[in-house]
Amino acid sequence: MPLLINQKIVENDSWQLVDIEALEQLQDLSDADIQGDIIVPLAFYLEHRDQLLSRSGRLGLQVNGDDDLAALYAEQANVALIAVEFPTFRDGRGFSIARQLVRIGFAGEIRAVGDVARDRLAHMQSCGFNAFLIPEDRFSEEDLSAFAEVSVNYQGTVADPRPIFRR
Amino acid sequence: MYQYNEVDQTLVDERVEQYRDQTRRYLAGELPEDEFLVLRLMNGLYIQRYAPMLRVAIPYGLISSEQLRKLAHIARTYDKGYAHFTTRTNIQFNWPKLEEVPDILAELAQVQMHAIQTSGNCIRNTTTDPYSGVYAGELEDPRAYCEIIRQWSTLHPEFAYLPRKFKIAVTGGAEDRAASQVHDIGLHLVQNDAGEIGFEVLVGGGLGRTPVIGKKIRDFLPKEHLLTYLDAILRVYNLKGRRDNKYKARIKILVNALGADEFRRLVEEEWEYSRGGELTLTDAEIARAKSFFKPFDYDANAAADTSFEQQRASDSAFNTWYERNTVDHKVPGYRIAIVSLKPYLKPAGDITDTQMELVADLAEKYSFGEIRSTHDQNLVLADVKKSDLYAVWQALDSNNLARPNIGTLLDMIVCPGFDFCALANAKTLNIADQINERFDDLDHLYDLGDIQLNMSGCINACGHHHVADIGILGVDKKGEDWYQITLGGSSREDASLGKVLGKSVAADDVANTLEKILEVFVEQRQEEELFRDTFKRVGIDPFKENVYAVAH
Repeated sequence: MPLLINQKIVENDSWQLVDIEALEQLQDLSDADIQGDIIVPLAFYLEHRDQLLSRSGRLGLQVNGDDDLAALYAEQANVALIAVEFPTFRDGRGFSIARQLVRIGFAGEIRAVGDVARDRLAHMQSCGFNAFLIPEDRFSEEDLSAFAEVSVNYQGTVADPRPIFRR
Repeated sequence: MYQYNEVDQTLVDERVEQYRDQTRRYLAGELPEDEFLVLRLMNGLYIQRYAPMLRVAIPYGLISSEQLRKLAHIARTYDKGYAHFTTRTNIQFNWPKLEEVPDILAELAQVQMHAIQTSGNCIRNTTTDPYSGVYAGELEDPRAYCEIIRQWSTLHPEFAYLPRKFKIAVTGGAEDRAASQVHDIGLHLVQNDAGEIGFEVLVGGGLGRTPVIGKKIRDFLPKEHLLTYLDAILRVYNLKGRRDNKYKARIKILVNALGADEFRRLVEEEWEYSRGGELTLTDAEIARAKSFFKPFDYDANAAADTSFEQQRASDSAFNTWYERNTVDHKVPGYRIAIVSLKPYLKPAGDITDTQMELVADLAEKYSFGEIRSTHDQNLVLADVKKSDLYAVWQALDSNNLARPNIGTLLDMIVCPGFDFCALANAKTLNIADQINERFDDLDHLYDLGDIQLNMSGCINACGHHHVADIGILGVDKKGEDWYQITLGGSSREDASLGKVLGKSVAADDVANTLEKILEVFVEQRQEEELFRDTFKRVGIDPFKENVYAVAH
């Protein structure tokens, strides 16, 4: 799956989303069993918080609109990446989650995952997403130009929070 | 009216090209059907029963002569020579070709128009009072705030994929001609004890299968906080509104589930983050928006004219039209003239290309080049000098646009129904014709006084049947069209939902049933009482008894 960061394709994604079933089989969540930078679902993290935080690799959390967002925000300082899932094309909760993550000062990677494709990339970026994982079958090189299809905006964005009347 | 600057124009132009590419990718098989559906809806394109339908935005119902001529051109060039005005004050083309829609949008962009967010689960066209700026009694012209909301809501990156559609209406004072209480958000300009003007905020109104009157969540919102407060409401809704069932996804369901107090608490909690922040309106921005809606340069001598009274006295048809289809203007010597889009045996709200051009010409000549579209599917020439009314009437009359029926039973809101709409369960246009044929004696209708009749062809209630004195809802019973009747609804200041009269009636029995309802009204009416007041006084029972009485 192509990963876009800064409107470029990133060849080596250091992060791996760990399969929840595989995680549950493990006796020990230390580095011995899972190496490197891992993304785990928020609910799993909340159950195994201390063990996961004792690892040396970096930690990311995956959430969607059904998760306990207050719990996520309370933990944001402990993680380097938050993957916000768009379960379907019509589900727009992720846009507000990204906005709120920026607002509380989360400075790590905010990655859009799930139903992520060209026609929403610009909106996602405006709301604070800075990485986009696009399913292989939905990706084309032209997607890189989607960020600039509409070059003006009335609202503030994460890059420039001023609405048009304050610019 | 508002004039696009370079940013506005760039946005609309680039949106056209973006949509052109989305259409190309869809037709090339690169964009899945279900995604294109969402994207085309956000650009106003439905697939109807027989053909696509393109809904073009008319922000807060204000349109120029030049724009209306462009719509006439589109109707003639890309459609079958007519279009249809909606209760959101937008206009619909019923027969465009999917592959030509990008070209239509490009034509619209030439006259500062678009179809952005006229459908889909996003913030729709903000509506207001069609008499804004010209009737005595408003606190301020609400259109400046509508324009501010238009800009904020257009291509809003966070609120483009809401749980469901989202509609905002703004009124300029206590009078409500915008059905604001049955909107997701209703904003009323009000004055507080300190004499400042701000907004009363209602939330969670709506029609459809669960009709609800909006609940007040704030008595007074200072103007500068308009957008930060809307932003807070939308964020709470976007995160908490239901997404598991589209029939329970509107904000009204969320507000009902949480209760207005808890909803208000969540909004205020969210608002704390943005209150006073970047989105706070500046005095300069409010002044800029207002500068586009200044009063026209009215003729100070307009009231001195005497020809008008002579014309009224000598031409009774003109006088009747004047009495029914024109309204007081705040400037002496001027009237608000309503162009009736409710001619005999034609669909409510429909207008042909030549009629559009005629209205555009009349506006240019007699009403400062502007036209308004109304919630009840008529047009308005808001600033006509009394001495010009006769000429306006003659031109309208010779183009079937002057039927003197405004406010009467025949000034119906009617959705297109089964004849066009893929969602409809029953036809509406034939029933509207039946009612027109039965009640064609206008003098009789004038005696009955103002009665709002609204009709929808299905439970989605695009015809706003819940909020009419008499509401008619088409239902399907084993393949046959039947009609359920409600009485006592209102979309005005006293907003209320109609009560069901009883079991539905057969298609050929609708006009008979209305006659029985009106019999009761005439019998129970005290002096010149309006239908709604009689209904409030006597309740539904006498109507039920007369309609469902067993014949002896």
